[in-house]
Amino acid sequence: MPEKETACAENRIAYYRQAALENPSRFRLYIWRGNPPGFIPEALALVTALVMFIPILYVLVRGIQGGWERWLTLLDTRIPHLLWNTLSLTVVVSLAALLIGVAAAWLVTRTDLPGRKIWAWLLALPLVVPPYVGAISYIIVFGPQGLVRNLVGEAPFDIYSFGGVAAVLTMFTYPYVFLITSAALKRFNLNYEEAGRMAGLNHLQVFRKITLPLLRPAMGAGVLLVSLYALSDFGLVSMLRYTTFTTAIYFQMGSFDRLSAAVLSVVLILITLVILWLEYRTRSRQRFVQDAGTFRKPLPFSLGRWRLAGLLGLGAVVASALVLPLSVLVYWSYYGIARGALDGRFLEYTSHSLLTAGAAAIFCAVLALPLVYLKSRHPSPVSSFYEKLALAGYALPGVIIALGMVFIFNSYIPALYGTAVVLVLAYIIRFLPQAMQAESASLNQVSPRLDEAGRSLGYPPWQVISRIILPLIRPGILAGMALVFVSAVKELPATLLLRPPGMDTLAVRIWIEASEGFYDMAAPASLLIIIVSAVPLKWLINRF
Amino acid sequence: MKKPGLIKPLYLTVALLVLAVLTGALISGCAPDGGNNGELVVYNARSETFVKPLLDQFEEETGIRVRILSGREELVNQIEEERNNVRADVFISNDAGAMEYLRRQNLLAPNDSPALENIDERFRASDGSWVGLSARARVLIYNKNLISEAEMPETLQELADPKWEGKFMITRGGNSSMVTHVAALREVWGDEETRSWLSALHQNAGAITGGHTDIRRAVGAGEYPFGLVNNYYYHLQLEEGQDNNVGAVYPDQSEGEMGAFVNVAGMALIDGAPNKENARIFIDWMLEDEQQFEFSYHSKETPLYPKIQAPEGAKEIDQYRALDINLTDLGPHWPDAKELIQESGLDLGI
Repeated sequence: MPEKETACAENRIAYYRQAALENPSRFRLYIWRGNPPGFIPEALALVTALVMFIPILYVLVRGIQGGWERWLTLLDTRIPHLLWNTLSLTVVVSLAALLIGVAAAWLVTRTDLPGRKIWAWLLALPLVVPPYVGAISYIIVFGPQGLVRNLVGEAPFDIYSFGGVAAVLTMFTYPYVFLITSAALKRFNLNYEEAGRMAGLNHLQVFRKITLPLLRPAMGAGVLLVSLYALSDFGLVSMLRYTTFTTAIYFQMGSFDRLSAAVLSVVLILITLVILWLEYRTRSRQRFVQDAGTFRKPLPFSLGRWRLAGLLGLGAVVASALVLPLSVLVYWSYYGIARGALDGRFLEYTSHSLLTAGAAAIFCAVLALPLVYLKSRHPSPVSSFYEKLALAGYALPGVIIALGMVFIFNSYIPALYGTAVVLVLAYIIRFLPQAMQAESASLNQVSPRLDEAGRSLGYPPWQVISRIILPLIRPGILAGMALVFVSAVKELPATLLLRPPGMDTLAVRIWIEASEGFYDMAAPASLLIIIVSAVPLKWLINRF
Repeated sequence: MKKPGLIKPLYLTVALLVLAVLTGALISGCAPDGGNNGELVVYNARSETFVKPLLDQFEEETGIRVRILSGREELVNQIEEERNNVRADVFISNDAGAMEYLRRQNLLAPNDSPALENIDERFRASDGSWVGLSARARVLIYNKNLISEAEMPETLQELADPKWEGKFMITRGGNSSMVTHVAALREVWGDEETRSWLSALHQNAGAITGGHTDIRRAVGAGEYPFGLVNNYYYHLQLEEGQDNNVGAVYPDQSEGEMGAFVNVAGMALIDGAPNKENARIFIDWMLEDEQQFEFSYHSKETPLYPKIQAPEGAKEIDQYRALDINLTDLGPHWPDAKELIQESGLDLGI
């Protein structure tokens, strides 16, 4: 059956190609595979996709045009050091997150550990702690002037070191691996492992030769998210005084040496592309299909006397990634509030956060619709191309997007430069893909047959959209809005660089207070951001 | 399956209205509420804790809404970048070098307010476009538990000595206090000597921080024996509830030495400021006695207006040997100083 369909499609494409060759006016029909969308949705999708992509393109062009001189100087001085710092951190954090994430996922899905349901929740929760907020709590406790040092006289270790940065970053990124791997383990079919056992392999060999390879795709997806995060993180590394490409770009922009910042951005974009390509390669070379027809849930593995060790391990992870940050922040908020952190200004900062993030969420939900609609209802190379353009901002760090915005608005659209519009647009570029993912997941569940039914009953296409599709994908739209909202509230680097005077947001305040060492004043805002982030947790977890 | 509902035209209208209102609010820079006397945009490169109470008070007394953008020395470049698109009215800076640099780039507007005459001519621009409010000397803060005053280096030159390797902290090269200090040293030492001194400093420094608060706290906590800061950080550390067993050494004080470098913090009037009148009102207001006192009191700097008493424990401006250099001469050397710093290997960023 599938072969037949493919052959059919190929015939059709060949037919349209021929038609286009004979009559150029048929070209549009050809590239849309005979199913071109209406003018309005296509125009909307095209404009959105271009707006999403232009700032990044502009950074690339400016970086490449940066001049040999600048490239050579930077290659000579900054880049080797930055490459080493950035890559070593990315690799170490990815591996550590992989180790913790996979071990934890295995313990809560495949063993007889007590309280596995609760553990699964607790282990996923650190996802709502923005890493820079986590970093603050670690500085408060383990910093050179921290709580531990006040109790025992000296700090137990240097938090401002490679080890410190890597450990803290791991604590707040392992949930990606954990969630994706647990989801894969839950779908795991017992048959394969049993086959291995029958072929005479022992437990360890089964794990190595069967379980692990079957988990490879999930692990790869988790590591991809972690490493992209490590590459793009700004708040945590700068608070822990570590230099990576993002912080170097930020400070280079701070001294408004934009061309050097653009050159460094080009290198960072290349690294991101290499990582995406590596993941794509390893994924496409291996294909596993699990036969759903004979699915048998594996029996929980009896841990025996290892049970205590497992509990202690998970306890340590939850304690350091969740209990420690939360309790420190609650405790410190108490002091901060006593010192008057919750004044009128705080309300103002909160309203700025809500307003900018809210605007970004609404715009993303609306702008994602045409793109998602074209991709789902008019699948063709053109709609995929629009989608790819719009996704470009996703993997890239906020500093690069901010750089593009400054380039473009200060030179060409000065009237809007320095207004919140630029900031909201940066949020949209960074987070539109989240709305697109949520909406397209919903839309793909709505059968095109319903559209056809609507059309055959006499609705014009726009009424099909407003009366059938929109009501049906409302949950997806809301989920997308929630995800965008939370990401925008947490966003730090672009906000720092683009906020207009007098429009500090909660995230900006956290950064300013923390950079002056007033952690108690930063704590209430941090706590509020965590609470806000917890709202769409349900959708966040279901994404994996 | 849930029965598909209808999206009523009402919903659509409401959604469109919300979008329109949001766009409007965002374009107008987020609803300038309150204050019928207009607004004032302040770019602030000074620690916000020291400035905010004053700005709040100004807002209350005049009804002028103050919008503040706090940052570090990058604001200098931002003002430069926004030359054709001016947003700032007043720039509050910790650094005369930066303000004089802006003036020479024709980015500041002259000011002939008589209020400026409270301040000695040495500490303001010849055209009144910027004016100093408080003095800040470059000193070495040290932890008395780790090192005695007698053991401390007496001159800055000594910091290049390998024997101090890993013993002290400095800020990153781009910190504006650092840049202007280097610009001043260049005047005295010349390029070559300054560059090799900076390289040695970079080698020897145990830690390089973003700002000075990190240094005073770390030295107070005993992470490093001493660090190069502005004098008032010493007084601030003395006030801490703990980690306060610190002292300060004013370097290069012996007969024949150059003396400690003194910089001033102050404010500048931006050329083409959108709210120029309010900016002038603000500058005059800041030059009133109470505000001058407030400006230096909390930060423990030395006020430049002789009528105002220095905070307890702070050295009066004539109690130590100061580097004899005219601050307005440093402006043109400011970018060169940054270049020199970068050449020496000390990063401008962190």
